[in-house]
Amino acid sequence: MVSGVSSPKKIDCEQDAAIVVEGLERIYPGGLRAVDGVDLAVASGEIYGFLGPNGAGKSTTVRILTTLLRPTGGRASVAGYDVVEQASQVRRSIGVALQEAALDPLMTGRELLQLQGALHGLRRAESKLRAEELLVRVDLVPASDRLLNTYSGGMRRRLDLAMALVHRPSVLFLDEPTTGLDPVSRTSLWTELRSLNDEGTTIFLTTQYLEEAEQLADRVGIIDHGKIVAEGTPQELGRLVGEPGLYVKLIDQTQSDRARELLTVHGAVSDRAAGGLTIRTGLGARAIAPIVRTLDEAQIEVDAVEVEEPTLDDVFLAVTGHRAEEAAEDDPA
Amino acid sequence: MSTFALERDLATQGRVITALAERALRVQLRRAQFLLPSFLLPLLLLAVIASGTSAAQQLPGFPSTGSYVGFVVSGTIMQGTLLAGLTAGIALAGDIEGGFFDRLLSAPVHRASIVLGRVLGTALIGIAQAVLFLTVAIVIGADFSGGAVGIALTILLAALSASAAAGLGATIALRTGSLSLMQNLFPFVFVLLFTAPAFFPRALLNPVLETISVVNPLSYVVEGMRAALFNSPALGSVWAGFAAGIGSVILTCCLAVWAMRSRVRA
Repeated sequence: MVSGVSSPKKIDCEQDAAIVVEGLERIYPGGLRAVDGVDLAVASGEIYGFLGPNGAGKSTTVRILTTLLRPTGGRASVAGYDVVEQASQVRRSIGVALQEAALDPLMTGRELLQLQGALHGLRRAESKLRAEELLVRVDLVPASDRLLNTYSGGMRRRLDLAMALVHRPSVLFLDEPTTGLDPVSRTSLWTELRSLNDEGTTIFLTTQYLEEAEQLADRVGIIDHGKIVAEGTPQELGRLVGEPGLYVKLIDQTQSDRARELLTVHGAVSDRAAGGLTIRTGLGARAIAPIVRTLDEAQIEVDAVEVEEPTLDDVFLAVTGHRAEEAAEDDPA
Repeated sequence: MSTFALERDLATQGRVITALAERALRVQLRRAQFLLPSFLLPLLLLAVIASGTSAAQQLPGFPSTGSYVGFVVSGTIMQGTLLAGLTAGIALAGDIEGGFFDRLLSAPVHRASIVLGRVLGTALIGIAQAVLFLTVAIVIGADFSGGAVGIALTILLAALSASAAAGLGATIALRTGSLSLMQNLFPFVFVLLFTAPAFFPRALLNPVLETISVVNPLSYVVEGMRAALFNSPALGSVWAGFAAGIGSVILTCCLAVWAMRSRVRA
């Protein structure tokens, strides 16, 4: 495993930790080992990104940490409370926004927020006031009295987040909060999460997107087949892949074969399905000038050269030896 | 836990149960396609009976209750409350499949409060059904010699019957988590009804049904309603009705809470 050594909010001792997980296991009836000895610690005030493909064990881990599922081995504590022995105290300390924004489509945004307030012990008047504050915060006042089945995906996600915040939790769990959202809604949610973190909320975020983890997370753990296979800052994980590759697009695609031949002196060249070439030189952006020069000397006109940042799939391939999609196909957990 | 903490916890759980009951009612009313049959089907049956198609009252051994509608309205109420309970189970299965149930589980509320919220909402629907069905029965000729007290006791028994049915519906929903399975349980409502003296006195049921009716708690509830409506111990026992009703509510709610706990462990 790759350990993060330069975490911006590194945990000095267990007292600082909002989440501590030791040897966590979950074996489903039938023998499927969804979580297989996970160890991790998240500091108070940290944003921890939990990455992995579908079926890797992310959601099962979150369900255990949010007391929705019991572990079959190991232990975990959240906000200082054991998730099995002190489940009720854990629930008082956490906010949860699970995958797919599980909201009742036959209720209005305001009704749902007030119900959430009641579930967390707020009196009716307090609950109404808090609902109003949160509707303003997530910019849903105009839609607050409409049924949920008229909300867009982004609006549902914002309401889901607001519901998780009703009781001002110290730790927030978000299970793939931006999956399926358009870029504008995604950016808006990221801004809100950063703002919450600035106010001191610890955030445990699962995602399939490395970009999301890079944008938000102080540290990232990658899970595959129920085990953490890498952990560190997004920069550290990105470096596992090595320097970024370069994508070269030619004006005349019929010159691709000749270009490939010429560019092999700079590094490994591969064709892109959508057209153009990818070159891995080990030099990153520093290879742009020599590559363009080589093509220019051969009178091959270049349309564009782009630096290709490593993706989750690249990191995944580097640390596991297989691609994320293959893992998802292998494991239905 | 100190007395103060216990009182505060009870007050909090009371607010939770009320809020969940309100939500259950509100959503049931907005999902009229599921709720309406629990009002319309029993009314339809009552209307058929009122049209004079049944000569059951002429059978030897049939108790004297004025009109057959007056006798059978207890069965109508029972049918409505069973359908309301099944609808509650369908709604819960929908919450489970849609993920909303996880939101309830991740909140700091007692598991029993989640069940009781749903049960209370259904009990209120049961009360509304009983008021409607009794009103219709009176309009079409039933005369209840038990008076206002008998009617009030019948409405309470209807609330218990709806609560027990909701507890049973919740148990099945929690055990299976399947919306489609819940929707296919409608025929079983009629099995429960016909193995209780819902439309005929127990003495006129065939021997097999009569034997089964002895262990069906609905028998005592429906007979209790009749005894209350006609102030007649010959038709049943109000006390036995309440005992069976309360016992069924406790049993089904405990089963539902148990099913919920198993679901988290599974």
